[in-house]
Formats: sequence, structure tokens, C-alpha cells
Amino acid sequence: MFRYQSLEDCPLDEDEDAFQALGEEDEDIDQFNDDTFGAGAVDDDWQEAHERLAELEDKPVAAREQDGPGSEEADLLGEPEDTLAERLTRLVIDSELEDPAIMQAVQTRAPTQQPGGLNSSIWDSSAVLRRIRGPLLTQEMPSVSVLDYALPQRPPQAREEERDPSERALPRRSSSPVIGSPPVRAVPIGTPPKQAAMPNFNQQILCPKPVHIRATMQQRYPAPYGERMSPNQLCNVPNSSLLGHPFPHSVSPVLTHLQRAQLLGGAQAGRMSPSQFARVSGLVGSPLPSVNPKLLQGRVGQMMSPASGFRAFFGAPPAPPPSQPQHPPGPGSHLQSLRPQPQMFRPDTTHLHPQHRRLLHQRQQQNRNQHRSLNGSVGDRGGHRSSHQEQMRKDPYANLMLQREKDWVSKIQMMQLQSTDPYLDDYYYQNYFQKLEKLSAAEEVHGDGPKKERTKLITPQVAKLEHTYKPVQFEGSLGKLTVSSVNNPRKMIDAVVTSRGEDDETKEKQVRDKRRQTLVTIEKTYSLLLDVEDYERRYLLSLEGERPALMGERKQKICDMYDNLRGKAPGQERPSDDHFMQIMCIRKGKRLVARILPFLSPEQAADVLMATARNLPFLIKKDAQDEVLPCLLRPFSHVLYHLPLGTVTSLVQQLTNLPQSATAPAPTNLHLTAVLQNKFGLSLLYLVLSRGEELQSSDANTELMQDNQWTELMLMATRELLRIPQAALAKPVSTPSNLISLFSRYVDQQKLNLLETKLHLVHGIR
Amino acid sequence: MNYMPGTASLIQDIDKKHLVLLRDGRTLIGYLRSIDQFANLVLHQTVERIHVGKKYGDIPRGIFVVRGENVVLLGEIDLEKESDTPLQQVSIEEILEEQRVEQQAKQESEKLKVQALKERGLSVPRVDTLDEY
Repeated sequence: MFRYQSLEDCPLDEDEDAFQALGEEDEDIDQFNDDTFGAGAVDDDWQEAHERLAELEDKPVAAREQDGPGSEEADLLGEPEDTLAERLTRLVIDSELEDPAIMQAVQTRAPTQQPGGLNSSIWDSSAVLRRIRGPLLTQEMPSVSVLDYALPQRPPQAREEERDPSERALPRRSSSPVIGSPPVRAVPIGTPPKQAAMPNFNQQILCPKPVHIRATMQQRYPAPYGERMSPNQLCNVPNSSLLGHPFPHSVSPVLTHLQRAQLLGGAQAGRMSPSQFARVSGLVGSPLPSVNPKLLQGRVGQMMSPASGFRAFFGAPPAPPPSQPQHPPGPGSHLQSLRPQPQMFRPDTTHLHPQHRRLLHQRQQQNRNQHRSLNGSVGDRGGHRSSHQEQMRKDPYANLMLQREKDWVSKIQMMQLQSTDPYLDDYYYQNYFQKLEKLSAAEEVHGDGPKKERTKLITPQVAKLEHTYKPVQFEGSLGKLTVSSVNNPRKMIDAVVTSRGEDDETKEKQVRDKRRQTLVTIEKTYSLLLDVEDYERRYLLSLEGERPALMGERKQKICDMYDNLRGKAPGQERPSDDHFMQIMCIRKGKRLVARILPFLSPEQAADVLMATARNLPFLIKKDAQDEVLPCLLRPFSHVLYHLPLGTVTSLVQQLTNLPQSATAPAPTNLHLTAVLQNKFGLSLLYLVLSRGEELQSSDANTELMQDNQWTELMLMATRELLRIPQAALAKPVSTPSNLISLFSRYVDQQKLNLLETKLHLVHGIR
Repeated sequence: MNYMPGTASLIQDIDKKHLVLLRDGRTLIGYLRSIDQFANLVLHQTVERIHVGKKYGDIPRGIFVVRGENVVLLGEIDLEKESDTPLQQVSIEEILEEQRVEQQAKQESEKLKVQALKERGLSVPRVDTLDEY
């Protein structure tokens, strides 16, 4: 506001500075847009779009210039206004998601053109002006706000003033209170008008929103360009002094109402309410009565609400605006789409005079009664449909929400779904939908029932643009001055991440008990596992060149996982089983091992398998409650499939606990007994034996040593199996098919039968 | 059939006649004129419909702006089947009276229930306080 005032009062010869200031202001506008929509949201094309718009606007002007003032009518009819509107809408719609306020501003060019067309003689005569104004206009377009609607009307008003001498009466003393300057008409041509009524007006408008501050930029250009004109040009512009005189003073009492309304509108406009702008655009779109000098009030009322609007309040007859017939009724024109039936009032009563509101209410009651008689329960059901369709077609309130606003809503909703990596951002929906699709695909294969069309969510195809916004921070200040926008929602909390040093962690670890440490290890390993599981996806997405690096990373992570599992201490050659057992005692740990195993190298996997076999009785005891161990069977069997006989043999050794039992002679092998009595243990033993037998039989020339060892192990296992009471034998998850043939090689027929019944029985029970 | 995310799916319903059930149990019927991303609604030519038994009554409400969070349910009204209802329309006064009677009866039964429970040493939270409005 300050700046505005200073600029307004700036001396004549400093207009260069004023223009410079305009440029700065323009940058401010950019800054403002950035703040509202985030950097990069609007900086790409609005200016360009406006330049194009300005070109569009200039063309008809130029044409009119050539034709001279006589072509007024031809211009109106000839220039296809609806195509212009169409082009404009396309421009607007093509533009990225912006605040409807801004888009509205772009749109308002079309309506402002209309007065130009209607009062073309003024615009023609000031064609030179327009040319000067051209560059200014293009830059100032985004700053259009409520005030602009007053602007294009200035010339026609001025013209009317000339036509109607009664309107040229000196302003009443009270209406120009600020400076008390001589009447504007006395000011010599070419000097910037003092704008007696305006400062007051501006001040009130300026206060609420920065939008209006920018709006006043346009208010100001009359002064600079007035000065810039050469005397020749001034001759061409007989009414130039009037240009600086925005409102005839007789309007000023009325203005208070207008101001209030605009203030209302302005206060909401800053909050990105599209509807507000729709209403405002309606103001602009209202056809100006070009030759209607009688009642200024009438026009003001029309500005407010071009339908019945303030007319009731101002006492003018509620007839359609006189200019209505003159206005080309192009179907695509902005105005027409906005209000198909201008006679109807708009349901916006927020700032209306009580009397008007009452009128409106009455009208509504009437409408409602009509509506009820149309839709009511009273008979007439046969003709209901047709009458209704008629009503729909006639619906005067349809399309209150402009296409632009609808687009805005859908864009803002789409924005939330924009994602560069839906798998990461929307994991659960993606998986759920995959499942659904699989299901429907399966249904299709089976062909049962009619194919059900599934509703599908439309998701944006555009990749998300990263908007980084850094709030302004002043040195020494405590807070940050943030501007929230669609792209940068207000931060509720600005937490600073502090990474703690290793020292703190180790210290803390000492305090924690072992179990906690194990839990932490499991969590860490899980996140590694998730990463590793994602590599496959990343590998597919990555470029050819990046793949080796990815593979290396993956390998490293797998190694880390293994190390985490085994608790490898740096100096130790072979890690103790203690750490592994800790992990395996926790349910989550067991599941973790089951998931990690497929990724490990055969050696690593074998090591894990061995460690498990070695400590199986202990694990079985610990697993009594969880019963999660069986989930390890499948990965174990996969691992087994890749192991050589030697490893399998030693695995059986571990399972039967031979090495230990050799030192401590045990008539009954407790270790093996425990294994046999457990579901997982027995299943694992079966698996291992079966795999061993497979290898044994497939590979004829195995070493004698190995062969003997295997036979010995088998004999022992069979003995143990035979000895254990049937009731104590656990039910295995699965019985390998080659088990009987396996046993048949080591026991006689009688025992084999016994075994068979035992195992079969087990099988039967299962 | 594809649909837009969030309230954008409502855009195709604009300018159609809708029934809106509010969180407080009121039922509004009117033309959906405008929506936004919060599902705030502008209803036009709205009537508040009160159902009691087989009767219903419409109270004209004009333009109704509904804050989105209060919308429980919203659905388009098939205008061709709209009048094809077994319900009977009655005047506003009548329906209000019916509603009052119904609410009274409900309160009575509620009271009896609470009484009976109390005698058995049980207590229920007073739901009727919430149902009042």
C-alpha cells in the first residue's frame, strides 16, 4: 500500500522509475505465486500464456483500427467471439493446476474485451494507448482482481459523461473529501489526475489481501501512460483526461456497497475459493450497457449481479439488461455458460441488502412451489418424465460450477495420488489391487458367471514434481515465516533429525539386556531383508549400466544379513551358535531365518542349517509355545536340494548328534529322541534322509568312507525309529515317498514291516 | 467403470438431484450444485425430508451448504422412480407432529428399558442424550 501511494504521487519525470517499479512488482507476483503454489508450480507458462492472450486481444483491435469506428457493428458480429472464448478456455484448461483465482484472471481477458467491442470508438481512439499499454498488460495480467472490473468500464463511463452533460456536474463536496482538489475536469490534459474519490476507495480495498495490492497496479497505469503521450497522440485521445478518472463522482455513494461486497469477495478470494471467483467473473462477464447513460446505479447494480442483482435495491426495474440483445449470444461464450438465463438471480445473498434478500427469498419460494408442483407426489406420473427432462434442460442453475472449477477439484484430488513410485507410496493399495486382478483373472479362466466389470480408480499418469519450499528465515529469529500452499501444506511440527553417534549406541547396548539386543538385530536384519527383496524390482526398473552396482549392493546386504544372523565377531573364525540361538528363540527370528534362507549362498545356508540341526532339541523346547519351526521346512528342503552328500551326511550326524554321543556313551540317544518326538524334527530328519538316499542311489561311485558313514547313520536312525514308542512319534508334515525303499536297504523284512506300519499308521492318522 | 479419486468422483453428479444423509440423522434432498475437495456440498432447492413410518414430509430449506465431514451418505435420486414410492406424503405440520409422537414413544420405551435394567442392577449409557438432536 505504501508503495502504491508513493508511486501514485511520484513526480511526472520519474515515470521511468515507476516502470522499473512495475517490473519489480512483476517479480513480486512471481514470488507470490511461488509462495502460494510452491516453487515451479506456476512459473513455467502463465506469463507465456498471458502474452498469447494479449496477442489474441490485439488482433481484433488492430482489425478495428483498420476498419475505423464505423465498423462497430460488423466487429461485434464478425469477430467470432465464441471462438475466442473457446481458445481462451482451452488455454486455461491446458495450463497446469493453478489456483482458480489465477486461472480466473486469465479468463477475465475475454470479458474485458467485451466492453472494448461494445464501445469500440473509445478503444479505437485510444488504440495508441493500448499499444503503449500492451507490454504492461501482458505482465500485469495475473494481478487481475475485483478491481479490474471497474477498469475497463472507465472509458465508457467517461464517454457517457461527455454525452450526458447532467452527469458532468461537479462532484458534491462530500464525495471528494480527501484532497479537496479542484474538479477533475479542470485539470489540464496530460497531467495525472488526482483521483479524488479513488484513494479512499483503494485504501479500503487494499487492506485485506495482497491480491488487491497487485490489482491496483492496473489502476495506476492511466497516470504513467497519460504522461508518456506526445501532444499528437493526445489529440487522438480527446478523452484522455477522463481515463484517469475512474468513476463519475455521482457513483461514490453507491460505492460503499460495492466496496463492502468486494471486500467480502476479496477476503475469501485469498483462500482459493473457486466459487468466489466464479461469481466475480460473472461480474466481468456481465454485458455493459454501452449506451445506457441514464442510471449509473443501474450499471453498478449490474456489476454486482448482472441478473436482477441490485436492481431491486436500487429501484431500477427488474427487466433484462438493455444491452442483452446487443450481446452476441454465442453458445460457447463465457458469459452464456455462466448464466444461461440472465433473468434469474444468483443464489448469493451474502452481501445483499435486506430488502433485496427478502425479494430473493420470495422468488425462491415461488420457484420451490413450482418445483414441488413439478416433482411433487400429486399424480401426474405419466408426464413426469418429460416434464422433468424439460426442467433439466431448462435448469437455470446448472453449471454453476464451471468446468475449470471441476477440473480444479479433480486435479487437486489427483495430486494426492501422484507418485513416482506407487509401490513404495501406496503399497497396500497396489497389492490389494493386484490381488483383485488376479482373482478376476482366475474367474475369467474358470468362466463362471458373467464377467463382472470392476470399477477402477483413475490415477494420475504424471510423475510427481518435487516441490521444495524453504521458508523465509530471519537471522536471530526464533520462528519461521511459512506460507502454506497446495504443494507445501503447513507443517505441524518441524522436527530435526539428530543421528546419534555410535558411542551412545554401544553404551546403551551395555545397559540393555541381551534379549533386547537380539530384538534390535532382528529388526535391523528385517529392514535389510526388505531392501534385498526389493532389489529384484529395482533391477528390472534400472538401466543396463546401473545393474552391476545394484547386484553388488545386493550381495553386500545379503552378507550383512548372514553376519547379523550368525553374530560374526571379527576375530573369530567360526561364530558360536549362541547368537543364532538367541535369534531362533524368538518367533520373529525364526520367520526371519525362513525368509532369508533363499537369498543366502549354499555355504551360508548350509551353515545355518547345521547350526539349527546341532541345537535342534533346544530349539524344539523353546518352540513348544510358538510352533513356528515348521515354517522353516520348506526353505530347508530347498537348501538341501543343493547340498552335496558330504554335507548331508554331516547334517544327519548333527541331527543324530553322533559326534557328541561318541564321547559320552548314551544307551538312549536323547538328542535323536527329542528330534523324533517333534513334528519339525521328524520332518526334517525325513527330508534329510530322503535327500541322502537320493544322492546315494543316484551317485554309484561314492567313496567307501562316505558310504560307510552313511550306512552307519542310517542304521542308527532306523534303530532309533524302531525303538521309540509309536505314541511318542510325532506326526511329520510330510513323508517323502522314497522313505520305505530307503529303509528296506538297511533293515530286514520284519523290521521293515514294523516300520512301515508305524509310519503308515502315522500317515493314516494324518 | 472407472472412477476418480476422492471427491472428484462427485463431479459427474453435479446438477443432479441427490439425497444426503447427515451425521445427525437428517435427510436432505436437493440438487447438488457445487463440491470441493473436502466434499463440502452446496445443495439447491433443498428439502429436509422426515420419515415416520410410512409417511414423510418435506420441509423446504432452500440452499443448503453442508460441511463435508457431516455427510454420511450421498446418492443420486432416480427422478423417474422418485415418485414411485409406497410412502405417503403429508403436510409439514403433520409430519412434525408424527415425529414428535414417535420420539416421545421412543423415549418412553427407552425409559422403561433403563428402568428394567436398573431393577436388575444393570445400567446402560444414556444413548438418548445423543439421539436428542
